[in-house]
Amino acid sequence: MRAPSTGYGLLTPVLALLVAGFLAPTAIMALLSLRTYSGMQGFGDEWTLANYIFVIGDPYYLLIIGRTLMLGLIVTAACLLLGFPLALFIQRSRPAVQTAAILLVIFPLLCNIVVRSFGWMVLLAPRGLINEALMAAGLIATPLDLMYNLTGVIIGLTQIFLPFMVLLLVPALQNIPADVEAAAFTLKSSRPRVFLTITVPLAIPGIITGSILVFVLSISALVTPRMLGGPTYKVMATQIYDEFMTNLDWPAGAALAFVLTVIALVLIWGANRVAAHFTRGFSA
Amino acid sequence: MSKLMFTTALAGAALAAQTASAQEVVVGLFGGSFAEAAEECHVAPFEEQTGASVITQNSNSSQFAAQIRATGGDSDFDVVYIDNSFAEQLTAEGLLQQLDMSKLSNSDDLVEGAVGADGHYVQYQWGATALAYNPEAFDEKPTSWSAVFDPANAGKVALPDISGTAGVHFLIAAARLNGGDIDNLDPGYEAIKKISGDVSAYYTQADQIISMFERGEITLAPWYPDRAAAAADAGVPVAISYPDEGAIGIKVTMVIPEGAANSEAAYKYIDNALSAEAQTCFANKMYAGPVNKTVTLEGPAAKAVPPEMYDTLYFPDPAVIAENVADWRRRWQREVTR
Repeated sequence: MRAPSTGYGLLTPVLALLVAGFLAPTAIMALLSLRTYSGMQGFGDEWTLANYIFVIGDPYYLLIIGRTLMLGLIVTAACLLLGFPLALFIQRSRPAVQTAAILLVIFPLLCNIVVRSFGWMVLLAPRGLINEALMAAGLIATPLDLMYNLTGVIIGLTQIFLPFMVLLLVPALQNIPADVEAAAFTLKSSRPRVFLTITVPLAIPGIITGSILVFVLSISALVTPRMLGGPTYKVMATQIYDEFMTNLDWPAGAALAFVLTVIALVLIWGANRVAAHFTRGFSA
Repeated sequence: MSKLMFTTALAGAALAAQTASAQEVVVGLFGGSFAEAAEECHVAPFEEQTGASVITQNSNSSQFAAQIRATGGDSDFDVVYIDNSFAEQLTAEGLLQQLDMSKLSNSDDLVEGAVGADGHYVQYQWGATALAYNPEAFDEKPTSWSAVFDPANAGKVALPDISGTAGVHFLIAAARLNGGDIDNLDPGYEAIKKISGDVSAYYTQADQIISMFERGEITLAPWYPDRAAAAADAGVPVAISYPDEGAIGIKVTMVIPEGAANSEAAYKYIDNALSAEAQTCFANKMYAGPVNKTVTLEGPAAKAVPPEMYDTLYFPDPAVIAENVADWRRRWQREVTR
């Protein structure tokens, strides 16, 4: 048998990349977040927790944090509701249809996120395609507010992150042994019951990974909230961007970024615990 | 850990590290039609005179400031176009060279106050935040900032978001209109909060406000005369009015960052941009207010940025803005646009 340490050499390239490109900047940002800052003097020399205390104690930031988490939850739920039936369809189709469907799911990912968000702006604007069509049809008298608010950001993010959810759900569904469902049917179980008591529980690992991925992508998304949320509908990512690039207050931006990171890590950890609980007793 | 270590460490992560050879001058300027006009009025004549070649990079003032800070005294840029409050802040952080005016042959012809922060920046253009209005919707042109707050115009007004210069300036104008000033903005916040329910939109980009004027969604907005004049040329129903209380003046400046590889060429570039020819060219192309006193304007440029208007503008202290604008923005987000 080979020494257990030989395999670690394979990690060297990715390790070097992560240390130089991720750990080092993160460490610098962590130190920066503990610095004072003022408009005309730049970074101060003392260490302080003031940036964190300000973020955690400020009702406006708490509002933004709450809003961001809510946005993540809604987008995840929407992706799951739209993605699950699609994934089921793909799993149960003929191989040729399967390939075509998966290609169609991947296809939007080839298009730049700015372009896709701009596409939504064209559709959702007060005088955009959707409002013009509804008004021409006489269904509404004044344009609906579809953009520069939560609605627009949810619509945009759901469309953009749906492929990730589907791509993670399909293999999870394929891992469910066909025999289990067939056995339930021979025992005269109804279709809804098979779906709720067999298909969904056995797909939980895929549902959890897909949800974590979509949730984390949603709460850290910058471009789409910026474009479809407009200047005044702020989420954490846009607020961090503004602290860095508009206010030039890097310490405050760094502190806000770490708060976002901690929230994401805690939620991922929690979701994994839940997943572990549900998937006890079988391996998928 | 010292400040220096932060900045040098961050330098590694800095954006777009452009290395330039001796004959190449790296200039940071604003994008869009601005870049086209600068190419014709500033870059081309400079290249012709000196034989040097110019590499341009497009961005905006705050991002230039972030880049100059990230490269901490070893900037990739030779010349950067930047608003004076950012220039003031970068000067305070020791990131800009003090300019030697004897190397700028046109410096004697400049308007008063064109050189700032103890010579660390030189203004090459003036602009303003004034009132843009739809001439078809007004029998008489609005001549006071109070028109924005007039109930007759409720629902037809767009305001600039405070993330941009126009937003900061409008806040100052609103404060001055209501008995405050740059050191006491409370009356401005109060006045804006009162109408914020009736504000059609807070804009950040020129194209947002242009389409709102085009579609008739708004008839009045605090905006820049140069942008408005360019939009009017393109057929947008918009005209500009300098309010009687004074429009808020903008000084756009050029700076040479510490560590610029080609300081000598940078001086020549700036000097050319301050010449009467370049100033006239830029005023006609971009409706940029000229800072060279020998320039006389004609035609649309004389209407959009009349040189005699320069003395009526209120120029807020850029150091006060640099020091406080982050707090103003935080308060705005919490009280006005939340």
